[in-house]
Amino acid sequence: MTDIASPAAAGDLTAPPAARRFRFLTDRRLALLFITPALVVLLFLSVFPLLWTVFLSLTDYSATRDAPPRWVGLDHYADLLTSAEVLRHATTTAIFVVGAITLQSGLGFAIAYLISRRSRGRGGLTTLFLVPMMLSPVVVGLFWKFMLDAQFGVVNSVLGSFGLDGREWLTNRGLALTSLIVVDTWQWTPFIMLIALAGMTAVPRYLYEAADIDRASEWFKFRHITLPLVRPLLLIAVLFRGIEAFRLFDLVYVLTGGGPGDSTQTLSFSVYKTAFLGFDTGEAAAYGVLMVVVVMVLAQIFVKRLERFGAAGRVEPDRRRGRRPPPAKALATADGGIDDSREGAR
Amino acid sequence: MRRPDSPGNGSAARRRRRWRRAVAPILTGAMAAAMLTACGGAGGASDVTADNFTTKLTDEPITLRFIWFEWPPAHALEKLANEHYKKVRPNVTVEVNTVPIAQWHDAIFTQFAARKTNFDVPILDSQYIGEAVTNGNILELTDFVGKHVDRSAYNPAFLGAYGQYPQAKTGEADPGAKMYGLPLMGDTWAMVWRKDLIKEAPADWDDMIAKAAACQRDHPGMSGLAFQQANATDGAATPYAAVSGAYGGRLWDAAGKKVDGVINDAAGHEAMRILVEQMKPLTAKGSGNWFIDEVNAAVNQGKTCYAFQWIGAMPGLLDPKQSTLGKSREEIAGKLGFAALPKGKKSDAIPLGGMGMHVSKYADSPAQAEALNFMKWFQSADVQRVWAGLGGIPGRTDVVNSPEFLQIAPYNKAFTESLPRLRDFWNLPEYAKLMNILTINVNAALNGTLAPDAALNKIAREQQAVLDQSR
Amino acid sequence: MTVRTDSIADHPDAASDGTGAAAARSGRSRRGRGGRRRIRGGLEIGLLAGFAVVFLFPVVWMLETSLKHQRDVYAVPAKFAGFPITFEHYADVFSSGSVLSTGFLNSVIVAGASTALATLLGVPAAWAYSRFPLTGKKHQLFFILSTRFMPPVVVVIPIFLLFRDFMLIDTLLGLVLVYTAFNLPFTIWMLRGFVDEVSPEYEDAAMLDGYSRFEAFVRMTLPLLIPGIAATAVFALIFSWNEFVFATFLTSSPETRTAPPAIAGLIGGTTIDWGLVSASAMVFALPVLVFAFIVRKHLVAGVTLGAVRR
Repeated sequence: MTDIASPAAAGDLTAPPAARRFRFLTDRRLALLFITPALVVLLFLSVFPLLWTVFLSLTDYSATRDAPPRWVGLDHYADLLTSAEVLRHATTTAIFVVGAITLQSGLGFAIAYLISRRSRGRGGLTTLFLVPMMLSPVVVGLFWKFMLDAQFGVVNSVLGSFGLDGREWLTNRGLALTSLIVVDTWQWTPFIMLIALAGMTAVPRYLYEAADIDRASEWFKFRHITLPLVRPLLLIAVLFRGIEAFRLFDLVYVLTGGGPGDSTQTLSFSVYKTAFLGFDTGEAAAYGVLMVVVVMVLAQIFVKRLERFGAAGRVEPDRRRGRRPPPAKALATADGGIDDSREGAR
Repeated sequence: MRRPDSPGNGSAARRRRRWRRAVAPILTGAMAAAMLTACGGAGGASDVTADNFTTKLTDEPITLRFIWFEWPPAHALEKLANEHYKKVRPNVTVEVNTVPIAQWHDAIFTQFAARKTNFDVPILDSQYIGEAVTNGNILELTDFVGKHVDRSAYNPAFLGAYGQYPQAKTGEADPGAKMYGLPLMGDTWAMVWRKDLIKEAPADWDDMIAKAAACQRDHPGMSGLAFQQANATDGAATPYAAVSGAYGGRLWDAAGKKVDGVINDAAGHEAMRILVEQMKPLTAKGSGNWFIDEVNAAVNQGKTCYAFQWIGAMPGLLDPKQSTLGKSREEIAGKLGFAALPKGKKSDAIPLGGMGMHVSKYADSPAQAEALNFMKWFQSADVQRVWAGLGGIPGRTDVVNSPEFLQIAPYNKAFTESLPRLRDFWNLPEYAKLMNILTINVNAALNGTLAPDAALNKIAREQQAVLDQSR
Repeated sequence: MTVRTDSIADHPDAASDGTGAAAARSGRSRRGRGGRRRIRGGLEIGLLAGFAVVFLFPVVWMLETSLKHQRDVYAVPAKFAGFPITFEHYADVFSSGSVLSTGFLNSVIVAGASTALATLLGVPAAWAYSRFPLTGKKHQLFFILSTRFMPPVVVVIPIFLLFRDFMLIDTLLGLVLVYTAFNLPFTIWMLRGFVDEVSPEYEDAAMLDGYSRFEAFVRMTLPLLIPGIAATAVFALIFSWNEFVFATFLTSSPETRTAPPAIAGLIGGTTIDWGLVSASAMVFALPVLVFAFIVRKHLVAGVTLGAVRR
């Protein structure tokens, strides 16, 4: 980033000072002027809708009927929190989140580790691995639906050529949820890999060199140098993926439609069904509010844990520049290992 | 949130305002545009009536927009309108927009909820009417039908299912009923079988299962049965309704608004077990999410002995471009037999499909007038005959029973034969929820997620809860 | 990770210079270690190649399917090579008036406009948040980011009602506004990182020369931010390009449908044309892949909404 920080516009500095226009823009007014429009948009399109959702969740409003909202208090919340069905969908979502995140973290970290140990072609390799992540989830879901088709799908075809029986990937109980996890893993492992790789490339070389002098084992280096230094970044990656996985919708919508039965119906999908099938807008709003609350609470707990790992500087918005803890400072020199030009320097 | 500074002198405040505009022109522009468009009226009460609609017709070029789900009759309708209605009304172009069948209900009702529709004529499933009428999304046509349509020309079952709300008992004429639509396309679930492999049509439902099992055994690579099982719309619900109709089951007790104890009585449980334990094993592996098109594909690729399909989708079975069974329509027709669903030993009810045309309350007057004009035109026997020729299934009794209709396609006879046996699902505003419960749980039972008995009891319990809530 | 605990000198750096202290000690042990190193290296390359095949196969298969004739698409067993190639599916994607070509055009408009708008609003805000010690800044910033974490299916309900009153349903303008709001938190967060890297001293120097703070920002800092703005904009573009939930529930007409729902609409008809699905998916993915390549240096910041910088 040094090229950005260089005073490219130095020539302007010598230009004769213009009349001090805009002096009425004191720092305070300028800040206000600059921040207000953005906040207005967010208030109008994020906060207001959310508050409205909270209001609707306390009524029996339905978007298709012309009747005005009728106050029902906390009835929807009571119904939802005691509903066995909601519990089942929450469990499905939890299994999905845990399964997908575990698989992605393991695979993503492994691939990043393998790539970081290559001395040549790292940039190209990384770029290739990133392709799935860049595709639209809808496209991914559609295409996997074709690949997992029990009759014409390539997956069963390949299994068949090995003499194995094809499976009902999308319609079998248990397998359908596994398929969702697999497809999500296929798409998002590169995300974990990318961030883990950024961490690994940033581990200061002298640490490994010192370990070599001490004749430390490869395992020792991995366990005591690589892992601790990459862990904070990895946890952030897991946080982001966790939030995304929790609200999974596109893939379910396209791949299984929540089936077989409702065995792959995630919470987001249930909200959609409540909101647009029955048009129980009030109940859907309560459902949504509960989801938001759960995300917020879980994320807060996770961030608190994260801070204990000393990675606070990465997520705490107000940490001043230059006051990051040492590992973070080291990480700031990482380029994600994408840039081929860096390899020449090795 | 931050509060603005207390206002300074007037000119500074003015300058600040000017700059605010300069810095965020897009924002203000967008907001202003939003406010301006907001002033346009949302569609409301219609001024188009049975008496004045002909005077509201426009001579300007106009597009009459339908919405349907994606299947061949949708294209046939567009063709019919643009080739034949155009002769009467040259300034009118008809557009039939289609959505995937799984989104059919949501696509239409989301727009109703938006109070703004990009269609003038929604084609609603027979059971959607209750929801649309209760919410006030479609025009009442009682007056129009009384003045411009000969009700006696129709099978009362169609007139009731596709037009009335509340509906009289299926199949009975009710001159006093309120009308909200007119039949566009009659339809029913019917049977297709490979008559080159199975010589005789099955005597009854049990016989069909036995013959399908034998056929599957004798022809490796083929499945005995193929039918829709998807967990969307009426995907898995229809097969259950069909089996229940053959084994004496009932979906609900309309008079007492009772489901629990009705759908899951002994006959209902037997039907569910037959569906899951005897029929499902005869279907192709992985067919648990099939809908209309996959069933057609299975027949076309010679992968199944028997299939159940909507008559409306059957033109795709005789199309040499899609089928591997023959190079011409005649050759294919020589291999496929078509018949009404086999009767059961206890009963013989058949799921009613099909749909009616309605008029969106949110369309503008010229379009609403044009829609009524189209409907009036569409009901004539001549037009209905042309419609039948294009693959549509007319609602008029005289056309359906005419020898021409029976000759147009080999499956038309199956349709006519089915007519006396039709049975509809619930016709209630809560239809979508009830259908969702039925479809999802039958789908669960078919795919082994729930045991048949448990699934049926769950359906009964959940549907009863929906009915009780609406009381 | 099957690592022999006694192999120490097989770190790539030690391997490449070949003069590691341990390796120099005895020729015999170097040969032994060299063997293990080769085995281990081979194993690693093998594993990596295996992963690469698994992760890239679906993309390759999509490309192949898009080039196959209809009869080969459904061939059982699947044909991996040696099938005649056709471009008819690509021709269908671009055939004039098709839902897909309209969808692509709408996606370009919506993604482009919302990105421009988010950038226009985000750059000044990011600069102000970076430069000024504002009251409650930390909370404001956290609040801004958290709006991005709400499930779209939840947000779409009130937005739907809001847009209904403003007649924005089924309009491209409505989608532009939603995407702007959704991109804004990310834009502010990522750009703040870039602003942090530009020393405030340039602005201070300019102000000593008689420029106002505003002018100092426009003349000194803004030009230096351009690469960062470009990178941020590309990520906003990618998000709006791929977005599905809002597009599905807020638009309904073929004229306003963006590409993701248009492509999703290809299934559920009477025949599913997987060749067409694949071809449209390829065409749709291409711009994103190109953009992603352009901003590859900023990928980490981009995909973590700027929370992890570089």
